[in-house]
Amino acid sequence: MGKTLFEKIWDLHVVVERENEPSLLYVDRHLVHEVTSPQAFDGLRMNHRKVRRTDLTIATMDHNVPTNDRSLPILDQTSAIQIQTLERNCKEFGIQLFDINSPNQGIVHVIGPQLGITLPGSTIVCGDSHTSTHGAFGALAFGIGTSDVEHVLASQTIWMEKPKSFEIKINGKRKNPHAVTAKDIILSIIKNIGTDGGTGTVIEYSGQGIEDLSMEQRMTVCNMSIEAGARAGLIAPDEKTFDYLRNRKYTPKNYDELVSYWRDNLYTDSDAKTDKKFEMSIDNIAPQVSWGTNPGMTCDVTDLIPFPDDYSKGDQNQKKAAEKSLEYMGLKPGISITDIKIDRVFIGSCTNARLEDLLEASKAIKGKKVADGVRAMVVPGSQMVKKQAEEIGLDKIFINANFEWREAGCSMCLGMNPDILSPGERCASTSNRNFEGRQGTGGRTHLVSPVMAAAAAIEGHFVDVRELDLD
Amino acid sequence: MKGNVIKYERDNIDTDVIIPGQYLKVHDYAELATHAMEGLDPNFHSKVKEGDFILAGRNFGCGSSREHAPIALSHSGIKAVLALSFARIFYRNAVDGAFLLPIEIDEDAYHNILEGDQIEIDIKSNEIRNISKNQTYEMKPFSEIISKIIDAGGLFNYKPD
Repeated sequence: MGKTLFEKIWDLHVVVERENEPSLLYVDRHLVHEVTSPQAFDGLRMNHRKVRRTDLTIATMDHNVPTNDRSLPILDQTSAIQIQTLERNCKEFGIQLFDINSPNQGIVHVIGPQLGITLPGSTIVCGDSHTSTHGAFGALAFGIGTSDVEHVLASQTIWMEKPKSFEIKINGKRKNPHAVTAKDIILSIIKNIGTDGGTGTVIEYSGQGIEDLSMEQRMTVCNMSIEAGARAGLIAPDEKTFDYLRNRKYTPKNYDELVSYWRDNLYTDSDAKTDKKFEMSIDNIAPQVSWGTNPGMTCDVTDLIPFPDDYSKGDQNQKKAAEKSLEYMGLKPGISITDIKIDRVFIGSCTNARLEDLLEASKAIKGKKVADGVRAMVVPGSQMVKKQAEEIGLDKIFINANFEWREAGCSMCLGMNPDILSPGERCASTSNRNFEGRQGTGGRTHLVSPVMAAAAAIEGHFVDVRELDLD
Repeated sequence: MKGNVIKYERDNIDTDVIIPGQYLKVHDYAELATHAMEGLDPNFHSKVKEGDFILAGRNFGCGSSREHAPIALSHSGIKAVLALSFARIFYRNAVDGAFLLPIEIDEDAYHNILEGDQIEIDIKSNEIRNISKNQTYEMKPFSEIISKIIDAGGLFNYKPD
């Protein structure tokens, strides 16, 4: 019987396999950042251990770096200490670090692919749940906690029970690809399968709807696999993948050889068996807007805020969750999504802060201004994205429209740096989590695509971007 | 293991409410503990006692891979979280670091155990005894490997046979 792509990558990386025990997997790339690594390095020091493969370990600082002027000192003392700690640890253990002043600094999941560190068929781990992003390149990539970070630093391996396989097939074609984006595809998927629909699985996305996506769009889809509870998201590499990674800073020298191996091996066999399946057509999907406090609480921009009874379909926990969410979000059932007024706009995060995201967002704002009373910011995913965007003049489009154009980092996605919402503020955000307090205590997050966020900034409320001229 | 229950009748209790992002810079576990569950229940810190258990619905611990989540709960005194299901990274972190026991329960236990009930968890017989109500429920047994890691006191103390 054939194998899935996931099984093939898994089998290639098993170091030890025993019955009724998890397997020991080899890790090809370990990405490290300032927040989930300090205790892991402490552990190494305490036990007199070294980093086993410094050449396979790369660090950057992204979670709590300020996104204003980089020449200024970091005012938040605890952030400054965490950043200095990473610098010290990388120096002591001999790990390459893209620090706050490096042109390669950025969100770890944005710089990996940009630098050619992310490769098809490899295993990648990072102390961050959105490591699933790298699956867009056909890598098996997953987030780990700090104990596992220490284990990988010390041994370049990780113990893991083999996840189940989950095939999500996306059929059809989007009618208006500028208005209906990869973000809308993944939000639709999560709306359908639920925030625990992928628990314990590795999702492989396939079908026309996925093949048509660019690499950056595929990253958006894989990024949010974790919001459906999956360990990882995966897309079989194709010519788009191989072209994207060619001639990057760290692309391997024998690239063509690797490509021919990948082309011959990295796909799911037609007779492979998957544990779970879900199929969806995107012929008619609409731009999505989250209304609640988890990414599954999402609806079409043309919908009304649901009544808890309708949303829950008889499940008492779901009903209570919807009621509590609406209360937290300050929303009433039955109102139209397009009547929701917003205070803030955040275009950023590892989900949607790549060049293409910024380009698509810019199409909704050309020659226009941010609505009165709305504060809007763009936080590029990396310093490289920022530079590329500036080369094609995107910064001017945003700045002329009164958006703030900031330095790279995770920023308002998770409220660790000064970019946070005030209690009660409502934000159209291109990030990945609308959890209570995620963007700041009492802040209210609506997850949307970059173009939806940009259009909301201009109008001061959500709009159906299919009605705009985005060409 | 005996203790009192703090119950949250909710699914999807995420890592951002267990320990909000702003505290991920805190290195001191005792201080981290003072902010546990702050995003969901600002009174948690004043009511939690050493040896307590949390009872919750489906998909407990979804979201971030931050190990700070089980650490904050553990250093608040929480010995186990009983939930209808768990997000996998939280589950793994809880076991790996020997911070607390993630115990999967069924609807029977979820509905019958109430806030303040005193319960006793026996991971050898896979039973949960409700001392306050004189009831017994089953818990889902740990897999063989999880049991071994728990017995060893976490991943770093565990040595494969």
